[in-house]
Amino acid sequence: MASTHALLDVSGAEKTFGANRVLGGIDFSVARGEFVSLLGPSGCGKTTLLRIVAGLMAADRGSVRLDGAEITNVPTHKRNVGVVFQNYALFPHLTVAENVAFGLRVQKFAPEQIGKTVERFLDLVHLGEKASQPVRGLSGGQQQRVAVARALAVAPKLLLLDEPFSALDRKLREGMQIDLKRILREVGITTVLVTHDQEEALVMSDRIAVMNRGEIEQFAAPADVYLRPQSLFVLGFVGHAARIEGHVLTSQNGLVEVETPLGLLKAPGNFVSGSTVTVAVRPEYIRVNDASPEPDSNMIQATLTEIVFQGSKSHLHFIGNGDTPILVEASQLPRDLRPGATATLTWRFGDGLSFPPERSA
Amino acid sequence: MNASSSRVDPVALLAAPAILYMLVVFALPMSVLVIRSFSGSSGPTIEAYTSFLGDAFNWRVIGNTLRIAFFTSLVCLLIGYPTAVALARSKGAVQALLLVAIILPLSVGVVVKTFAWQIVLRRDGIVAAFLVATGVWDEPQLLLFTETGLVLGAANVFLPFMILPIYSVLKLINPNLQDAAATLGASPAQRFFRIALPLATPGLFSGTSIVFSLAASMYVIPSLLIGDRFQTLATLTGRAFLLMRDERLGSTTATVLLVLSILIVTVSAWAVRPKGGR
Repeated sequence: MASTHALLDVSGAEKTFGANRVLGGIDFSVARGEFVSLLGPSGCGKTTLLRIVAGLMAADRGSVRLDGAEITNVPTHKRNVGVVFQNYALFPHLTVAENVAFGLRVQKFAPEQIGKTVERFLDLVHLGEKASQPVRGLSGGQQQRVAVARALAVAPKLLLLDEPFSALDRKLREGMQIDLKRILREVGITTVLVTHDQEEALVMSDRIAVMNRGEIEQFAAPADVYLRPQSLFVLGFVGHAARIEGHVLTSQNGLVEVETPLGLLKAPGNFVSGSTVTVAVRPEYIRVNDASPEPDSNMIQATLTEIVFQGSKSHLHFIGNGDTPILVEASQLPRDLRPGATATLTWRFGDGLSFPPERSA
Repeated sequence: MNASSSRVDPVALLAAPAILYMLVVFALPMSVLVIRSFSGSSGPTIEAYTSFLGDAFNWRVIGNTLRIAFFTSLVCLLIGYPTAVALARSKGAVQALLLVAIILPLSVGVVVKTFAWQIVLRRDGIVAAFLVATGVWDEPQLLLFTETGLVLGAANVFLPFMILPIYSVLKLINPNLQDAAATLGASPAQRFFRIALPLATPGLFSGTSIVFSLAASMYVIPSLLIGDRFQTLATLTGRAFLLMRDERLGSTTATVLLVLSILIVTVSAWAVRPKGGR
């Protein structure tokens, strides 16, 4: 994955805590100007990777290059990598403006330049009128903006965001995400976001690196991660999907035929006959009681167990043979369907996915 | 949440028992003492103070008191601050062990501890042997009955009162602040002087105030470690009441000690006051 034009290039990063291998030799690179997310469950190693890039933790093995320079052994304060911490880590004994000025002061910038820069970044995050206030009284969203302004004021080469929205009200988040993306685009800074929230990663990123047990399972554009997940883990972590396990009967012309408790299913893929595979399908591709299904479609019978109304859409929970849960997303509430009723579910062969069994730990 | 209200907070009533107790056992007797120091045969007078302060010996006593209290506070501060940092950073069993190691010595009486120091500070004691072995001293010397010995002994007794207030402040400081400062380009020294130290100031101040007040007013420790030749305001007060039966002198020295302690603690509180947002 190492590219000569990468701004950040981590190669072979390994980290072990006691018997726990947190990072298993990760290669990770980010192009100049790119917004990349490290997405994964807690304990997947994403925060460890961030701390290694910031120099707050040393990797056992591997190297970090930033803007062409080897920085593996450079201490944090000489790296010029900005970080917005999860709880923002604002200096409680300083005002808003003093927080933003801190980096410029310790780096001995001229006072008039410090004044101008602080003003510029406080305006950028719309906190100009709070400049002389202590940081204690600020709301969570305002604190986050101070933390962003403080990190950007020293003009870092790279900005790292560690779960910056997790402390905020769920309703505020989407607006803040779009706001922050606008600010970062205006500044034109290369950014790495660490998050466990798939929606956040999908909304903000140019590319997403999905991490699991110290490895990157897939590193691709958000649409690719969602539409073409490379592993069962990525499929499960990003979005919903019905999963049906079975055995391969035939595999030809890029289409695999699988024998499952729900009957014969076809999905794109190439497997050896007899091997175990999981056929998956996203909820929005499944049609319920379609009177005229398309020709190359899978067709199964399932029982409706629950209807969850979610405003602009509804989630229909079905259960098929072998206790297989199947989630269907419908844009309208079904009129003639009640829980307990049996329905025919159809989806095109091409809309399904197929996966080998998940790698074991 | 800063709910500003002009009504009396009912929670404030919880302080009532302490206030009542301190009024009866501290403020009242102290007032009697202060009044006595101003009483003369023909009405109120400051004669006791003028004669006390007119004697050069008494100025040396005041000097002794402040010097011993200052150096004891300094030794406690220099040992206590790093200890408090280690305590605040430690976790689980290690932290519990450290806390026990700091608090348990408080359960050993001052007299016992001080007698132990008498053994340690002898000419053939551990400290002298160590200093000779490391080449600091050419030959063993007596540390007992010296000011150095007194400061070492007093610092040993009062150290927990320095460590615990600093620790209680440090453990509330977000550990990410140091990391945040580093990512902004602050060197380890800048992180210490611009972040760690300003945020620890309230704890450093309360620890120093407590140790200074305790060291300025200690009576048993100097009596056992340095003896009668060296007088402080506290030992002089004791002598005035117990040996000389001079109540007015005792009241005067006690009042001088009280005023000096209050003055020093108040002035230093003002000096390290948090600088509000400019």
